[in-house]
Amino acid sequence: MQKFFSSRKLVIVIVCLIISFGLMTVSVAIRNKRSTPPMIQQFGNDIVGFADRVVAVPMNGVQHGFVSVKNLLNTYQENQRLKSKVDLLAQTQVKDQTLERENKQLKRQLNVGSTLTGYEKINAAVITRTPSSWASQVIINKGQAAGVKKDMPVIAGPGLIGTIAEVNKTNSKVVLISNTAENSNRFAIQIVGSDSKVVNGIITSYDSQSNRIIMGNITSKAKLAKGDRVSTSGLGGTIPKGIYVGTVSKIAEDDYGLAKKVYIKPAANLNDIEVVSVAVRE
Amino acid sequence: MKRKIPIAIIFVVGQFLAFFMDGSISQILSGTLFKYPNTMVPCLTMMWLILAAFFGNSKKLHLSVWAAIIGFIFDMYYTGILGVYVFIFPLVVYLCQVIYQQLPSSFMSGFLVYFIGITVLVTLGFVANAFIGQASTSVSQFLVNTLAPTLALNLVFLAILYFPIETLYRTHRR
Repeated sequence: MQKFFSSRKLVIVIVCLIISFGLMTVSVAIRNKRSTPPMIQQFGNDIVGFADRVVAVPMNGVQHGFVSVKNLLNTYQENQRLKSKVDLLAQTQVKDQTLERENKQLKRQLNVGSTLTGYEKINAAVITRTPSSWASQVIINKGQAAGVKKDMPVIAGPGLIGTIAEVNKTNSKVVLISNTAENSNRFAIQIVGSDSKVVNGIITSYDSQSNRIIMGNITSKAKLAKGDRVSTSGLGGTIPKGIYVGTVSKIAEDDYGLAKKVYIKPAANLNDIEVVSVAVRE
Repeated sequence: MKRKIPIAIIFVVGQFLAFFMDGSISQILSGTLFKYPNTMVPCLTMMWLILAAFFGNSKKLHLSVWAAIIGFIFDMYYTGILGVYVFIFPLVVYLCQVIYQQLPSSFMSGFLVYFIGITVLVTLGFVANAFIGQASTSVSQFLVNTLAPTLALNLVFLAILYFPIETLYRTHRR
């Protein structure tokens, strides 16, 4: 091997390092502050996104085939189980409709416009996932053109899975709640206890060992029980109220014994996401 | 006689294919690859580049330029943080090439050089992500839960794809 660090090579390495650190700092800053990445980056991402669909669509199709076969084998058992739930669902739906209508009428009477609860959904498919250990991130096929904006919450199946981190024209990146990085988003959530007292708080971290979301710094004395439902509270930011997050699985003291820490079992499976919807506050 | 498609074109198309396959494999097998506590990351793009460095003519293929381009696209499209893989990809390719030239060309030496290449790639990726606060694990956890599974997965990929890719380059050299 020739002399590895000749002075010319050393200079090149140092210059590269400086550029690298500079670019990293700039892109992190842009990510935290601006609502969209720079035009060039957006343009590039859109083109790559289109090309990716050529590969991703057949691959997802193959996976779909496998999943269908697996589902077929489970159908009988599932059918039995679901039959028992159907009656209950119809009941709830009717009740929900009546309540919604009543709610609208009451709002009109009181002259209250839209509240925190109302939201519409933009449906999108997952194209691909970031092949990296550090960013739990998926890329979806709707962007600015469909009305997606940064920091909007993303729902998959039953519950919340993450927020929009970067928006391009035709695709956007979703950071999952399992992302433990310090700069990922914190949601405002609430738990309705058994005595119908509401406990407000935010998601403070994620315990990847047991796959639990942690809601920290709770000083409320309200009683919480295992199985209580957790939803977003709509306080602050662009997240609407009433998106289902999960159920309480454990309640513990925090490290100093002053406040409580609630472990929440997420409703959605974070490792099996095919179709998502982005919630837009009305 | 049938005209052959030039190797340079096959190289570029294959590179983008490998790039998109990385994402698709991560998405489809996310339940298995990212199951706690281990994370296995497919690095097919890197494998395609390293094997091109082994078998192809890196000057004619403009290998380091393409490595930088694909690294830049990787940063832009997958992670959204620029300036990480745009430098790591060419560095790893260069390193692998330099080491491989000192060794007799055989599957075993290719395997070992590839091992070193992936180790450098994943480690530098970890250092860069730790610098911007994305990676929060300790070094020992990184070694056991990320580096080792990733190496295992990618060496399996190499074992499957080494000979087909070697044949591809050999038939095009004549």
